[in-house]
Amino acid sequence: MWGVWSSRTFVIGGAAAIFAIVCVLPMASMLWGVATAAAPISLLQSAFLDARQRRLLATTISLGLSTAALSAAAGMLLGFVLARTRVPARAALRIALVAPALLPPYVIALAWTSIAGAAAFTLFGAVVSLTTAYFPIAMLATEVGLRRVDPRLEEAALLVTTPRRVLRRISGPLVLPNVIAAALLIFVLAVSEFSVPGVLRVRVFTTEVFSAFAALYDFARATVLSLPLMLVSCAAAWAATGSGKGLIVTRRSLRHVTTDAFDGWSAAGTVLASAGIVVALIVPVSALLIEAVRAQSVLAVMRSSRDAATNSLLLASLGATAVTIVALVLGYARARTTRRVGVVLDVCWLMLFAVPSTVMGIGLIGVWNRAGAAGFVYGTRAMLLLATLSRFVPAGALAAAAIVRAVPDSHEEAAATAGAGWLRTMNRIVLPQIRTGLLAVWVVTFILAFGEVGAGILVAPPGESTLPIRVYTMTANAPPGHVAALALFQCLVVFCPLALLGFVLARQERS
Amino acid sequence: MTSPFLRLAGVTKRYDSRGGIADVSLEIANGESVVVVGPSGSGKTTLLRLIAGLERPDAGEIWLDGRKLAGDGRNIVPANERRVGFVFQDLALWPHLTVRGNLEFVADSVGIDARARPARILDVVGLCRIDAGYLDRYPHQLSGGEQQRVALARAVISSPRLLLLDEPFSNLDQELRSTIRADLAALQRNLRITAVYVTHDVGDAETLAHRTLTIRSAAVGG
Repeated sequence: MWGVWSSRTFVIGGAAAIFAIVCVLPMASMLWGVATAAAPISLLQSAFLDARQRRLLATTISLGLSTAALSAAAGMLLGFVLARTRVPARAALRIALVAPALLPPYVIALAWTSIAGAAAFTLFGAVVSLTTAYFPIAMLATEVGLRRVDPRLEEAALLVTTPRRVLRRISGPLVLPNVIAAALLIFVLAVSEFSVPGVLRVRVFTTEVFSAFAALYDFARATVLSLPLMLVSCAAAWAATGSGKGLIVTRRSLRHVTTDAFDGWSAAGTVLASAGIVVALIVPVSALLIEAVRAQSVLAVMRSSRDAATNSLLLASLGATAVTIVALVLGYARARTTRRVGVVLDVCWLMLFAVPSTVMGIGLIGVWNRAGAAGFVYGTRAMLLLATLSRFVPAGALAAAAIVRAVPDSHEEAAATAGAGWLRTMNRIVLPQIRTGLLAVWVVTFILAFGEVGAGILVAPPGESTLPIRVYTMTANAPPGHVAALALFQCLVVFCPLALLGFVLARQERS
Repeated sequence: MTSPFLRLAGVTKRYDSRGGIADVSLEIANGESVVVVGPSGSGKTTLLRLIAGLERPDAGEIWLDGRKLAGDGRNIVPANERRVGFVFQDLALWPHLTVRGNLEFVADSVGIDARARPARILDVVGLCRIDAGYLDRYPHQLSGGEQQRVALARAVISSPRLLLLDEPFSNLDQELRSTIRADLAALQRNLRITAVYVTHDVGDAETLAHRTLTIRSAAVGG
């Protein structure tokens, strides 16, 4: 429709080039480094067959599996409560239950160290912290899945059997693909997580990659350590995209639908949701608050962290803006391409999103830490921006593709037949329809970028620090109250853009 | 005079937004086939859902075979204990179960003995003129007409006392519609089942109804 030489081709080409440089090149350079090493076979043997490596892999996979299982179980229950029972103040409950997912995971880990003391510094402690952070993903996946299931499928069963059996035989199996996909995503996020095992001193692959580079300055070992983790993450990401294919549900809007059948469970559902909010949000935030109030000279610590906080705010804002722009163009291309190419892109983006932050950090160093123009960039704050782009463009593109798909092709076709060019069509027809979705992408990217520590801590130039890096390094030697105060400040910053998004959404709903 | 098999007295159901029914009363005799017609949004589907127990009436009473099903703003007998068969407008076939799975689930739920189930399924499949070779297919592997027959088979396998059909032919082309309508009329004669159809097609009413009721925005008139 637009022709090969239209502005569309150049804009998509530009975004694809940025994506290749910031996301694909670091991974390709790592793999190339292994392939061209002096003794690649022995290098790979040491990565997969060494007993210590195997133990590390076992701990990492245990962390991922336990977190995925616990999060899926809790998320499935709460998702059902939100989707099918008549709980009071449903929207408020949902926001409160989702809030832990938007806090940096290490903030939650810090809170649990205040609550549980030494018991938190274990694999179980890491599982609890990560479950607190990730169960909302399974909860939302379940809720969205159930809302997409036509309630008539349940009603048809309710004519002949009890609500409990309907849940087990009809609703459960129908929503299961969503839960499995969410569990796999949580598995990937858990094995990729660096900050929580780092804070709780649990030795997993991500922390070992960091130690190999930051403590031992052994780039080759860091690269080799990254390989098993990369493979496990990519395999799980691949499985997660595949698990959605079996989903056969009636196409429905996501409006809330309840049947009278589950009315009897509303009281229990309210108790369950309230308990979830207390355990996942109120207890951890209160623990941090108590710790911060008890500490002395908190104001001095806040003042000394001012530069790091300003840095973080600036980088997160710039990063979120850059990610949203690149992701929008890539997402548009995905939405308007053929089904087969689209599936390949989905898998590719999900796999890149699954690459652990420390692994991406090592990849970025491999590309940019060299003589010439690249070396000039390496010593600057731009590396932190590149880290943000490399971490979040793939996820942003996935989200943007879903948003753009909501605009029918015919809207563009109508503009084209009316004589508009592609840029004008995007500006006047497509973007106005998706601006709220794009704002959501920006807000979520800002929150994630503001809490990013794994890649940033590796690529930050000397003397440069962000708030998460400062908090992470302070956990080693500063009083817990000071760390708690900074962590609480992070929570506040995270909730500001979230409140803005909530306000915009509420206003849109009213109008 | 014998008491009516199904009786609705002053039934009202209002939704927050709009729609619903107000003060609807009707009586249907045992074995009678009634077609309810009316414009879109007049509450035809709501009427069926109230009879099935899928909605609670705000006011009024619903009686079936001398037993009070609903009254005082609540459902006294839950949906799964009313022995009502329902063919939904969009059929609502369970997509994760095969045709056999769809029928077996209902047969199991209403307590048909496991040994008797295969024979019962074959009976119903024959009755609804479904090719037995389709039993192991999933709903999405069937044509629209075949799906319609499966939905009907699923509604009658439990030997319901009352059959409710919500626009059962709305998704079919004219030729298939006539065929299935004739089959349904024959099935109903064979089973002597009381049935309430909701439709806005005059042809449906002529073929299937002993009596036609018109529902307007407020109530039903004979």
